[in-house]
Amino acid sequence: MKRRKFLKAAAIGSAGVTLLPRIISKYPSLYAQNNPPQAVWVENGEPLDLLNTALEELGGLENFVSKGDVVVVKPNIGWDRRPELAANTNPQLVGELVRKCYEAGAKTVKVFDRTCNNSRRCYRNSKIEEAAKKAGAEVSQIRKNKFKELPINGKVIKEWPIYEDYLEADKVINVPIAKHHSMATVTLGLKNLMGVMGGNRGSLHNNFALKIVDIDRKILPTLTIIDAYRILTANGPQGGNPDHVKLTKTLIASSCTVSADYLALQLFGHSLDDVEYIKVAADEGLAKYDLNNLNVKRVHLG
Amino acid sequence: MVKARKVSQILFLLFFVFLFLQARYPYEEVGVSSDIGLRFSPLIPLFDFIDTWVLSWRFWPALVILLFTPFFGRFFCGWICPLGTTLDITDKIVKSPSNKTAGKWQKWRYLKYALLIAFILLALFGINAWGYFDPLALFNRMLTIIFYPLFTLIGENTLLRLSEISILETPAYFLYDSFKEWIMPENQAFYQQVFWIGLLVVFVLGMEKVTRRFWCRHLCPAGALLGFLSQFRFYERIVGPACPVCNQCQTECKMNAIPADDVGKTDKTECIECFNCAEVCPEKISAITYQWRWKPYHSAVDYNRRQFLATSAASLAVVGLLNIGLQNKDNKDRAIRPPGALPEEQFQERCIRCMECVRICASNGGCLQPDHIRNDLLDLWLPVAVMRGGYCEYNCNLCGQVCPTEAILPLPLEEKKKLPMGLAHFDKNICIPYDRNEDCIVCEEHCPLPDKAIKFNVKDVLLADGTTRKVKYPYVIKELCIGCGICEDKCPLVGKPGIFVNTKNQRRMRKSDLV
Repeated sequence: MKRRKFLKAAAIGSAGVTLLPRIISKYPSLYAQNNPPQAVWVENGEPLDLLNTALEELGGLENFVSKGDVVVVKPNIGWDRRPELAANTNPQLVGELVRKCYEAGAKTVKVFDRTCNNSRRCYRNSKIEEAAKKAGAEVSQIRKNKFKELPINGKVIKEWPIYEDYLEADKVINVPIAKHHSMATVTLGLKNLMGVMGGNRGSLHNNFALKIVDIDRKILPTLTIIDAYRILTANGPQGGNPDHVKLTKTLIASSCTVSADYLALQLFGHSLDDVEYIKVAADEGLAKYDLNNLNVKRVHLG
Repeated sequence: MVKARKVSQILFLLFFVFLFLQARYPYEEVGVSSDIGLRFSPLIPLFDFIDTWVLSWRFWPALVILLFTPFFGRFFCGWICPLGTTLDITDKIVKSPSNKTAGKWQKWRYLKYALLIAFILLALFGINAWGYFDPLALFNRMLTIIFYPLFTLIGENTLLRLSEISILETPAYFLYDSFKEWIMPENQAFYQQVFWIGLLVVFVLGMEKVTRRFWCRHLCPAGALLGFLSQFRFYERIVGPACPVCNQCQTECKMNAIPADDVGKTDKTECIECFNCAEVCPEKISAITYQWRWKPYHSAVDYNRRQFLATSAASLAVVGLLNIGLQNKDNKDRAIRPPGALPEEQFQERCIRCMECVRICASNGGCLQPDHIRNDLLDLWLPVAVMRGGYCEYNCNLCGQVCPTEAILPLPLEEKKKLPMGLAHFDKNICIPYDRNEDCIVCEEHCPLPDKAIKFNVKDVLLADGTTRKVKYPYVIKELCIGCGICEDKCPLVGKPGIFVNTKNQRRMRKSDLV
């Protein structure tokens, strides 16, 4: 009896083992929920479709945002430019993301950025303020007394002022736009975090790689969604020339900022060696995943 | 009547303050030109006429006032002028003395006529000195440089301090946010010349302690002009036979416009129609009424031929002195005027130093400041772009849109984006890449031109440890640079910047250039 029982169990077991992948492959959503990819690359769609697909592939925003969370959505609102000039994050994308956060149960969604041009002009002309407010976000101007010195104790930076709302948020979704950057080569997720840094940011510009990696290590976001619907290919980060804007209709999302940035380099035809600060970030262990063996889900929308 | 006058004063004061507050980004949506308040100034059409020999309908609010003045007298001073209202409020606070003690200042009231005549003579020589004394320009200057910043500093800082107390955090921030959203959204600008303009404000308001409406009685050239026009005013104060000559109206008169020896008369050139005289007339008597009369009596202007000759001589001397000038050429290259400013001489001539452009600039890049005595006396309080305090916002052309006298022309945005107001220069001794062989190029990053006016060369540099490094060395392209100064403003060096803008390449506009 014992042996028979064993054989029976073994048979069922082996059948199970052989059939399981088939079952799983039949229900991809089930599989995805158990093993979401480390990063998602979605292309050939409108901003909203790109976002929805990416979030679906990542197992839904519920994987990142819990009920009652205070969420900071941090787009790039740095410049007094209209959306078509690809200097700021796509407003539709930001609006939709805010909506999704509330759907996932967020209590409050805050949107802000420390801008380079006059902040009211940037908030307004980027159309982000309008879109985010419409979706119910709290859009606020940076308040000068809300920067708190954060101990960094990095290689070159000892401490740096960071925006309080950002530090106090339960979850942070970093939504940069992919742009050329004359000093840094490209600006993506890691560099977008400069929008929550106080102090004299210009002084970060020399020995930039080490400085940005030092600070970013302490303030990495929950999720990074790179808006590459339109990308700026030259004269960044300000741009201003429509000829430098390329319609790439892409979106990259990952819970690892370095991985997302690394993937986005392909849009510009760069390798990791071309962009010092991302390479340093990887070398210094800021990446959650092994960049050489990233599990990337690529979706080409029809 | 007094009640109606007070309501009018308060409404006009609110109206002028409202216009002042509206002068900010986003400006287009309000639908009212905020400079219309400044175009109420009775002096503007006169001096515009002397400058152009054409009567401009642009100044219609002032023309309407001037048209009615010969019939109604100085109602502008009593009912409309926001500076006058401010003085009346001050008078309530500091408790101005009555004319019993203040009467001895009476002999100085000719000064305002002297000033008006002097300003006209100077204007004929192309010198604008009247702007400094224009009551509306003065009011706007007071608001911009003194009261508004004072209010913001007190308001904002109090609320931010309160927010540090934990139980007050939420209400304090709520108030702060509403304050920033609705009342004063711009970042607080810190102005140069605050001391001198502050001193002027203290003088104008402080003299209320000496006599009521000291400014209006003795100094205001607009009052002088309106007084001159009011000599035959048709709307007269009538004193009935019941008058016991208690002189109550005479001592309480805001303008001391009732002659002490004949309370039945009114100095029409001085009276501002506040109607206080009827109010202070003892209730049982009520001898004072006002009537429209077709055969009015004449009140002479308190200004004689000898005074006129002295004024003329003094004005000529001033013309001479101003022409000698300071001629400090070292300073000249930083006189960066707003984009669309007329050529310097005409600019000086037309600018009334009202600070409206400075005010609206604060809600944008925030580079405009009242200038100091740079190259000659008349540079004082012209708008000047100080890029280390702010910069000219690329997508903004608002300063030209709010200039009441078109000293700054209203350029279309696309024109403005192309117009050079100066040229950037590197100070290679301190600019980080040149000084230390390290990357920086924050200036290039911020340069707003679609084809960057700052470009850079990448060069290999041999370092002290024997290794080489690639460094980006920026340079300016003169043909592209518009001198907006964002590079100077954002330069991360503390104190003296590694890149600065001066007036080289600055292009001035003429009205004929506008299509």
